[in-house]
Parts: sequence; C-alpha cells; structure tokens
Amino acid sequence: MTDSPSREDRAEAEAQAWVARLSHDGAGGGDGLAFDAWLDAAPGNRAAYGAALALWHEFGARANDILTELDGLPDGESADLDVPPAPAWSTPSAAPRRAARRSGARLPMRRWLPVAAGAALAAGLALAVLPPAADLAVAKTYTTAKGQHQRIALGDGSVIDLDAESRLSVSLSGAQRRVTLAEGQAIFDVVHDAKRPFVVRAAGRDVRDIGTQFDVKARDGQLTVTVARGRVAISADAGGPGRPVELGPGQRFEADPAGPARLTAVDPQETFSWRAGRLVYRAQPLSEVVADLNRQFIEQTEIADPTLAKLPITGVIVLDNPHAVMSRLSLMLPIRTVPSGKGLMLLRK
Amino acid sequence: MASSGPFEQRAGAHPLLAAFLEKRENLVLFLAARARSMAAAEDLVQDLYLKVAAMDPEAEVRAPVALLYRMAANLLVDEVRSLQRASRRNAQWRSETQKTLGGLDIVSEPAADEALIAAERARQLAEAVATLPPQMRRAFQLHKLEGLTQARTAEVMGVSQKMIEQHIAGAMRRLAERLRR
Repeated sequence: MTDSPSREDRAEAEAQAWVARLSHDGAGGGDGLAFDAWLDAAPGNRAAYGAALALWHEFGARANDILTELDGLPDGESADLDVPPAPAWSTPSAAPRRAARRSGARLPMRRWLPVAAGAALAAGLALAVLPPAADLAVAKTYTTAKGQHQRIALGDGSVIDLDAESRLSVSLSGAQRRVTLAEGQAIFDVVHDAKRPFVVRAAGRDVRDIGTQFDVKARDGQLTVTVARGRVAISADAGGPGRPVELGPGQRFEADPAGPARLTAVDPQETFSWRAGRLVYRAQPLSEVVADLNRQFIEQTEIADPTLAKLPITGVIVLDNPHAVMSRLSLMLPIRTVPSGKGLMLLRK
Repeated sequence: MASSGPFEQRAGAHPLLAAFLEKRENLVLFLAARARSMAAAEDLVQDLYLKVAAMDPEAEVRAPVALLYRMAANLLVDEVRSLQRASRRNAQWRSETQKTLGGLDIVSEPAADEALIAAERARQLAEAVATLPPQMRRAFQLHKLEGLTQARTAEVMGVSQKMIEQHIAGAMRRLAERLRR
C-alpha cells in the first residue's frame, strides 16, 4: 500500500507489525523490552496498538464462522457448496467486492501444488506430487496391529495419528482429500483448504472438516467423533433422512446402528490423550478399560471374575506395560492379577 | 482489583513489585497478542503478579523491567495450561446445554437476532480475508483462523518464519483498511 507520511498511519502500521511480531510463539523478553519502549515512544502508539489488537482478537473469536464463510464464497468452480445470496449491507460497493472475492477465492487452486510439493519434500515423504490434472488420485492404505501407533503426514501439511488395531486408507486428488476409516480410531489434524474438502468416511457416515482437529473412532459399527478445534459436519446415516450435524470444539457425536445419535460436551484433551500414551476414563466399566488395553499391548488381559467387569473406573491410565497398569489399578480396586497363558488374568482380591 | 494501599507499602520494599505495578498495563498488552482476549491476557498478568509477589524482596535485581518481560514471555510457555483451563470452562457451560438428540437435525442455536448479527459480521470479515493476496491470505488463515503457530505455518507453506510475520503484519494492514470503509 502507499506509505502515507501521516503520524496516525505510521503508528497504525507499526502497531500491526507489533501484533504480528508478538503473536509469534518465540517472542521473548527482548521483544517485550523493545515493545515497551515503542508503546511510550509516540503519543498515538498505545491507541493504535489497542485498535489492532481489537481486530486481531475479533478474528480469533469468529475464526470458525469466518472459515465456514470462506468455504462458501462463490468462485464458479466448486459445485458442492451453496452460494449465499449477496447480503443487503454490501450493496453500496457490491460490485468491486464481488470481483475481488472471485479472484481471491480462485487462488487456492493455484497455490495448492507448490505448497503440497514443498511440504512433502520437507517431510521426506514418498507421497507423489499431485498431478495438475485434478483427478488422478493417489490412494494408500495403512494398517496397525496390536500395540502399534502410526503417524501419517500428508503432503498438504495435515497429520493423521492412527491408534492400534485400525485400518485407514487415504486418497488425495486435486478436488478432494478422502480418507476411509474402515475400523479403529484416529486423530485428524487437518490443514484447511476450501478448494479440497477433507472428508472422512466412517461407519456409514461422512465427517467433513471445516478447518479442524478431531478424533474419529469407528469400532464394531459404532461411531464417535470428538472435535478439539474448528468444526466438522457429519452426514446423516447412509440412505437415512436428516440434515448433517455440525460439531464445534468440545463436542462429541456418538451413533450406533441401533439407537439415536447423541451429542455431548467433553474435554477434548481427554479424548486425544491416547496419542500421548494415556487413556482417560470417567466411570467406564473395567471391561471397556481391559478391551482398550488389549488393543495397546500384545500381552492380553482377561477378566476371570465376571462380577469385576462392571466395576466403574475413573482416572488416567499411563500405557507403559500391562503389568504396571494392573498393579497400579490393584492399589485402588479390589483386584489382583495372576499370569495366564496369554498374559494376565484378573481376579477379585 | 485490590486496593492500592497495601500494594504501595509492599512495593516500597520490593523493587520488582514496584516495577510490575508501573508496567502492569504494558505487560497486559505484550501478552494480549498471543492470548485469545484481553481478559485472558489479564489472567496471565495476574499469574505473573503472584510469581513476582512470591519472590524474595531482598534479592538484588539489576534490570527489573527486563526480568518482568522475560518472566511474562515464559508464562506463555504455560499457555497451553490456561487454554485447557478455558476449554474446561467452556465444556462446563456446554454440559448445561447438553441434549440427547432424537434425530440428526438438531443443533443448539443462539437467539435468532444475535446469530444474524454475528453471521453478518463473519461474512464481512471473511470477504475482507478473501481480498488478501494469496500467500498473505494463506498465512493469515493458517495462523490466525486455524490456530497454527507461526513456526508451523512457515513449515506448511515452506517459507521462513520472518516471511510469515511479514505476511501477518501486511494482512492486518489491509484488513484494517478494508474494514474501515
């Protein structure tokens, strides 16, 4: 933009540069001292900084809605999204805005390729560079066994963490990033791209990201989706009626083939803790804990006394090895362990 | 918050505390760029106050202001903790509005007029973002809207962190200009 020499303009530009500098996670005490000096260096600096911050915080507070809007901005290329009608308030300058909007919205397509290629090279990935002909999909399947976790870094910067005993396939094309979670659990850290929706197919539904970190669990036909950041939309059951359900941070969606779908509030950090080698339980039955442990370890644990299976467990379990887990649990619960052919057997104390 | 009387008495014998009281507002502004709101920045500075007040008043501090900013920057290392605190607060609020869905077409909705104003403003902000030059827009979107750190944004875009900072500053300049019209 043109460099206007006015004092207010300079204060404003400097304030915006300070917001950018201080929002860097590496900003340290030295930056603080320089910032402190700047605040008092000119009379308008403090007010200019306050104004820049207000806008900065507003963008943060409305981030999800803005991302959703950016998805919907018309560009004449995406056929899968409804085009919102031009709002009344935009009438005075509607023409230039719409023109600018069109050119802005077309850009992701052009910038996609170099970004993807750069990220893939940086990560040392074997992923093929996407062909410009948008429809050549690169598909790959990942399977984890008992006790295995796998981190899958995609060329677009998105990352998938796959839990034990899971099967997932990834198919990237120019038009869509499609993942199928046939069985198991995974955390998706998706780099948003309005031009290439990220869709996870699991338990007969499509989970579609709107710029997001979320966990999808599909085991025995039951689907659980938990969102940590951003939003996702979950389609209605295959062939079933109804609109998609939209989930925001801290919300969990659960559905099984038989019952109705449920929406609950959760602490997403608890759901995501398996990635860090911890499982968090809130009054869940011991049988469920044992089933989870049997996925995480080769050594298998069996509940010998059926009256133990329903014992409610609340707490954090650190996944080091099954013996250590059980010996810690036996401090709080009326259980003891004996070795068995496959691993461990749980008995009442 | 607390009355200034006891503060001043203690501050007299506590040079770091005195420096803190003098720089309190600046420290809030310093932390606010990385906090989600002014209130969150105030919370962080309150944590800083507790740390300062707990320090030995006799300890010799050669550059108290530099130490304060260093301590403030270190506070942000614990930011994750405060974010978790905030998300728990949100979860608590949500659990009160939690519902079991009979079908799939129910989503909790805010009051209609509020939602309309919010939606209109979001549209306005989104349109402003859409007018940014492509690289600038992508940097702003990844860092500010999707919450990636500047370091991670630089990684994903394959450019230097300095470049991301410049993109963010440039984006703020253009967005402020556009939204003023």
